[in-house]
Parts: sequence; structure tokens; C-alpha cells
Amino acid sequence: MLPNLLHDLKESTKSADLLQSCITINNNRIYFTYFSTLINQEKFHHDVLSFIQLSKGDWNHLHLQDLQAMIPLEGMKISEELDEVIKSLVRGSIFLQLDPHLHEGLIIDLSDQKSGLRDHNDTENEFSVIGPKVGFVESLDINLSLLRRGFGTEKLTFEELSIGKMSKTRIVIAYLDGITNPEYINTARQRLSDLDFDIVFESSLLEQLITDNSNSPFPLFLSSERLDRIMYSVLNGEVAILCDGSPFVLTRPTSLFSFFVSPEDYYLPWILGSCFRLIRYFGVAFSILASSFYVAILTFHYIVIPRELLGPIIESRSNVPFPPVLEVLFLEMTIELLREAGSRLPSKVSQTLGIVGGIILGQAAVAAGLTSNILLIIVSLSALASFTTPIFKISNTIRFLRFPLIVLASFWGGFGIMIGLMFILGHLLRLKSLGAPYIVPIFPFRNNSFSDSFIRSSFTQLNNRFFTTRPLSTKRFNVKKNKDIGDDYNNE
Amino acid sequence: MQQRIKENYAISGYFVFFLIAVTQAAATLFNFQSLALHAGQDAWISIILIGVSLHLIIWMIYKMLGNPAKDVIDVHQTVFGTIIGNVLSLIVVGYYFLMALFFLRSYMEVIQVWVFPSLRTWVIAGLFICIIYYVVSGGFRVVAGFSFFYLTLIPMFFWFYFPTRQGDLGLLLPIFNHSLIDVIKSSKSSCIIFFGIEPLLIYLPFLKAGQKHEKWAHFALMFSTFKYTAIMIVTLMYFSQGLLKHTFWPTMAMTQNIEFSFIARFEYVFIFMWQLTIIPTVCIPIWCCTRIMKRVCSIKPGLSLPFVLAALLIAALTLKERAQIDAFGTFINDCAIYFHFAYIPLLFIITWIVARLKGKRKITKIDET
Repeated sequence: MLPNLLHDLKESTKSADLLQSCITINNNRIYFTYFSTLINQEKFHHDVLSFIQLSKGDWNHLHLQDLQAMIPLEGMKISEELDEVIKSLVRGSIFLQLDPHLHEGLIIDLSDQKSGLRDHNDTENEFSVIGPKVGFVESLDINLSLLRRGFGTEKLTFEELSIGKMSKTRIVIAYLDGITNPEYINTARQRLSDLDFDIVFESSLLEQLITDNSNSPFPLFLSSERLDRIMYSVLNGEVAILCDGSPFVLTRPTSLFSFFVSPEDYYLPWILGSCFRLIRYFGVAFSILASSFYVAILTFHYIVIPRELLGPIIESRSNVPFPPVLEVLFLEMTIELLREAGSRLPSKVSQTLGIVGGIILGQAAVAAGLTSNILLIIVSLSALASFTTPIFKISNTIRFLRFPLIVLASFWGGFGIMIGLMFILGHLLRLKSLGAPYIVPIFPFRNNSFSDSFIRSSFTQLNNRFFTTRPLSTKRFNVKKNKDIGDDYNNE
Repeated sequence: MQQRIKENYAISGYFVFFLIAVTQAAATLFNFQSLALHAGQDAWISIILIGVSLHLIIWMIYKMLGNPAKDVIDVHQTVFGTIIGNVLSLIVVGYYFLMALFFLRSYMEVIQVWVFPSLRTWVIAGLFICIIYYVVSGGFRVVAGFSFFYLTLIPMFFWFYFPTRQGDLGLLLPIFNHSLIDVIKSSKSSCIIFFGIEPLLIYLPFLKAGQKHEKWAHFALMFSTFKYTAIMIVTLMYFSQGLLKHTFWPTMAMTQNIEFSFIARFEYVFIFMWQLTIIPTVCIPIWCCTRIMKRVCSIKPGLSLPFVLAALLIAALTLKERAQIDAFGTFINDCAIYFHFAYIPLLFIITWIVARLKGKRKITKIDET
């Protein structure tokens, strides 16, 4: 006896949103099974029901094949497998059956791609004054079309995988065929397809699962919601990984220095772009080291303070009863609390919080003699400096690295700070991103990549891709200086 | 013969520059001037002398180990047979170990004398051992990568411009008024500052196209010779001979007087930044130890490294007083002289003879057939 799929489907779930309806045309009954929460009702009525009702076929000898030909939609399939039917139902299909033949039916994809998703993203988390403000959204198809439209080349290749035992999330690996090194593509594909996980919510979650070293505070993937940034990375021969349901796209292999690159660097003249980039590097160094230097110098090495500077420091610290470590930890914790609270609150409340916390608390702490003025300046400056990084993830890392260094400084002064820095350096040297070294171009030393690492040189210097991603073809463009032919030194 | 080192473990050939330069820049920088005092104001000549003579040693090492690239363990085995060769290789382990111990202990001494007189020796040693373990367990690439950051320290040598402003060129005169014996004596006692060529015997196969990059090894030696000669000349200009005899740390004493509006006592920065050279300097010989043990006794580095580091910790703690460290320095210096100027040339000659004999035998064999 043939199985009754209509009945089996009803049995398979207790959920109330699984609907089974029936229409009758010329005494022929047609059954529909679908999740009402998933399908696009308008499409269902407009593209399916109206065609079935208007058709003038021989209804007594109707087959599924005829219906398939009748309905102007793609991605239809005739199936007898219960598992396959359920799988497509939870993805937003309807299952159509003709009355006597209940062992088979037609799967029609009517999923509503846009329901529950926002249709644009203003890149609020990675803001830039100049440049496009188009960001990725939660829908994979929109993201793919953004990328495809941006590149406008058939070389851009999408490879689709599905990951997650339960969610079957669609993951796409995007790369430029003939430019991206196949080694990286293979590694990415390998790691993704080996993955065994239930539901993938976010690409950052995916990042932790396929990372080279999960015990590192450093982000080994660059994740961004900016279209121009991801396009730039892919253009340079990196692999992008898109995840359905996440507005963040990952690119790899990445190096530590690409986290300090802002797309704005390329939109400004190169002198300004380079200058701002250098300021960012300075900000990072300052943010990591400033408060631990304060602790080290005031606890152990007061001898390195020049005579003229000694006066103001003593004056500001004369009322403070605590050792420098406690003072610094107290203030750093205050800043961290402010930051943590500010990022959880609605934006209008957090502005008020910033004023209350930043100005009033700081001033009150100094007036009460809990901290010194100079420390207040140092800590708030270093908090400010840590926000200069264009990518949020690396700013978290910087924020974290400060604390071990403060503790080390309180134990062993400058020696302790250097020990900490040596550990960080050793760690960075050991890290790899998708099998490629993490602090390239410094180690391994890549001479030709320095035109776009610490500074952003003029486009006439950037004609080639860098060896850091080992691309298959290095030539990118050919920009030449525009010269006025008649203009020479003698104005002849 | 060992198999060739895999491509992804090897590093670019020019890295030999950093690997040699960083090892030669170690802790002795702070007080090497006192080593070369036999020659008085001509001490800089003896430093040039030893620097130049070491170029010959580098040439010998490359001649001996190149084509195809092999390490000294192979050479030992082919020349002396497996058993005696392996015993010799194990003796070399001891040499590298002493080398690492000397670098570590003399830097710890600097820290204790200049910055933290009260800090316990075992704390400093323990912290260093942790870092060394972390770096060496990352493999040769990480060790070499660390040595690359020596580059960031090179600008610091420009601080020696400040003492020259107070220096007196007249103190260098008269030139060449010491006998050749004195000059050679002083080169002999300052051999220790050029420590760092001998790990090349082990890591040469890890360099991509090592033979082609021989010039970088020579550049490194040239750079070190230039650097030490320059510092020596600055020292001789800054101190009178009488004062220099009573100054234990001339380099420090010179940088001590530099003062800016935001920082005074510049030697603190100098000492702390110097960790960046000390760590690769200790890591390279330690890595060589584990490498030899792996090749000769097939002990896995995961096992031998903790063992070597524990021994290093204990040995560093047993050297307690200044006098002991000085005596140990002199002993190491003698070892280094014999290693560089007796052992390597001897091995070179023996290898050359053996290669010729084998070559002849091959030719005769071909004739017979």
C-alpha cells in the first residue's frame, strides 16, 4: 500500500502553523500543505492558486507534471519522500497534492525572502564621513546581489554550503576566480564543511568555530558590515565568508594591520590618509601602554621622571591614599563600566550617561581624592584612543590587553611590561589566519606591501596586489601621474 | 642524511642577518668595553681585528655545510662515523646550553644591578623561562621572527650621538702605541661579544637557498663589528683611561646623562627594550639544543625542551655572585675562542680532506669499472 503523505505530514508536527487546505475544481480535490508563517501569501494566491483555477485543462486526467508546467515559478519538484518534503516545508515551500494520488506531490518554493528582515543598513557601527554608506543586511541573497553588482564581473565566484545540523544555514564562500589563491579557498571550504554545529546565528560565531586558534584574544578574521571594505579585501585576493542571517561578512586570510585600515584612507588624499592611519597606530600603542606606564613609573621608576615634571605629578597625587595600581584599576574599571553600560542602553539614554559618568564621576573622583588629575587624563585619553580603531573587534582586544599589563607593571615595573609585551609578540608570531601568518608584512617580511600598511601611498604606487595574500595575478590597475605636457620649470 | 626541511618550515635566506646580528647584540653590550682594556685607547683596533677574522669562519661554515645544505650533525656523522659523531654532537649541545645560560644570566645581572636590586633571581629567571618555552615551542619560524624585531632597536644606537658631544677626540691619541701582542690579547678577551655565529651550524638547512644568502651573514658580522667599534670609540672618547678602568658599566654610564623634558635616566628604556634581543638570543641556542637532541637521540622537542629549560633555570640560580658570573664569562670566552678558532677550522680541514679522499675513491672506482 502506498503511503499517505497528507496524513503523515499532519502527524509529523504538532505545530499550529502547519496548515492543510483543500480546494475543489470540477470535483477534483487539490490539497495544500504549508507553514503559514513562512510562505509569501501574495505569491501563493497570485502565482499558484489563480493559475490553477483559471486553467482550462482536462481536469479528470490531470497529472502533477501538467500542474508543474502550468505554474510560472521556478524551483518546483515532484517528490515522494517524506523527509525531503518536510525539509523543504520548513524552508518556506508548499506541498501540493492531487486527491487520489496522495503518495506524491509537488513542492513549490514560495518562501518569503524579505519578511522579518530589514532592507538596508546604514553602517552605523563602522561609520565613515566620506564614502558609500551601504552595509550588508541579514538576508544572504541581498548581500550576494550587493557584492555581485559591486564587482560586475563573472570572475566573482560564490560557493554555497549549508551548515548547522538543525538550522541548515546557508553559507557562501566568495572569491575572485583566478586571483585568490586556491589554497585559502580549499582551507576555508574544508574547515566549513568539517564543521558540526546545531544553529549558526552569526558569522562571528562561525569565526570562532573555524578559527586557527580559538584561545587568542586577537580576532583572526576581519568582519565588517561595510560593502566597500569587503569588496576591497576580496579584490586583494582574500576569501569572504557570508552567512545567512548575519550582516557581518568575514574575510580571510587577514593580517593584524588590516584591522587598522579604514576605507576612508583611500577616499582621502594619500598624505591625509597616511597621517590619520599613523595617528590610529599611535592611538593603539598609547591605549595599551599608557596606564601601565603610569603604574610602572610611579611605583618603581620615579627616577625617570625629569625634575620639572616631578612637581605637577607630586602635587596631583599628594591627596591620593592608594598605591598607583589601585588608583589605575579603579579608574579603568569605571571607564569599562561606562563603556559596557553605554553599549547596552538606548542611544538617547547613553548620551546622558556619558555626561554623568564621564564628567561628573571623573571630577568627583579627583575632588574626593580617589585618583589624581593626571591619571584621569591618561585613562580617559587611552579610552578615547582605543575607539580610533575602525573595527570594533580589535578595539575589544586592546581594551582587554591593558589589564594584564597593568598587573604586570604593578609587580615588576618596566620589566613586567616588557615581559607582557614579549608574550604578546610571541603570541602574534605564532598566530595564523587560515594558515597564513598573522603579522605579515612584518614577519614574514614583505617588502612590497609597505606601501599600504603603515601608510597609504599614492595610487601610482599601489598598482599591484600585495604578496601578503599570495594572489595568482598581481596586476590591479595602472594609474599614472597626470602631467601637464607644457609645464616644465621654465614655463615653456 | 636528513631529509630536506619542508618548505613551510623554512624561512627566507636573508633572515640569517637578523639571526646573527641579534645574537651578537646581547647583554655584553652594556659592559664589553672593560673586556678589551689590554690595548688601552687602541681597543677599537682589536675589535676590528676579531671582527675581520670571523669573516673567515663564516666562509668556512658555509663552505663546509653548503651544497647541499646540511647541518653539523651530518658532518660529524660522515667524518667521524655514527657513534663518535653523535658523541661530538652531544658535546656541542653542552656548548649551546652554556651560551644560552651566559646570555640569560648576564642580562639578569643587569636588571638586578640597575633596576631591581631587591627582585629575587628566581622570579626573573622564572619569567624568562616561561617566555622562552612559549617562543621555542612555536618552532624555528617563531624564533627567527622574534629576532627580526631587532630591527626596531637599531635606531636606539643613535643615542650614542649624545655622549660624543661631551667626548674628546684627543683621548684616542696616540694611535698604535700598543704592541701587537696587547692588541691580540684584548681581541682574545673580547671574543665573547661576537658570540652567535655558531648556531648557524644547526639552522643553516632551515634557510631557503641558504648558500645564496651567504652575503647576509657577512653583512651581519660587518654590522656588529661596525657597531661595537663605534661604541668603543665613543667610550674611549668619553672616558679617560683611568676612569674607564673603574667604570663597570660604561655603556650605561654614558646613556645615563641623556635627559629630555619628558624622560630622564635614559638607560632604563635601554635596559627594558633590550629584552627584545635577549629573548631571541637565548631562544636560538636553546632551539639548537632541542634540534640536536631530536636528530641524534630522536628525543621529541616536547620532551627535551622542558628538560633543557629546567636545567637552565637551575644553572642560572646557582650563579649567584658577581665574581661567579665574571669567572663564568671568562670560561665561556675561552670556550668560544676554541670553538671558533680551533674547532671549526679543524672540522673544516678534516671535512675537506675526507671529501677529497672520497672523491678520489669514487674516481678510482669509476676507473675500475
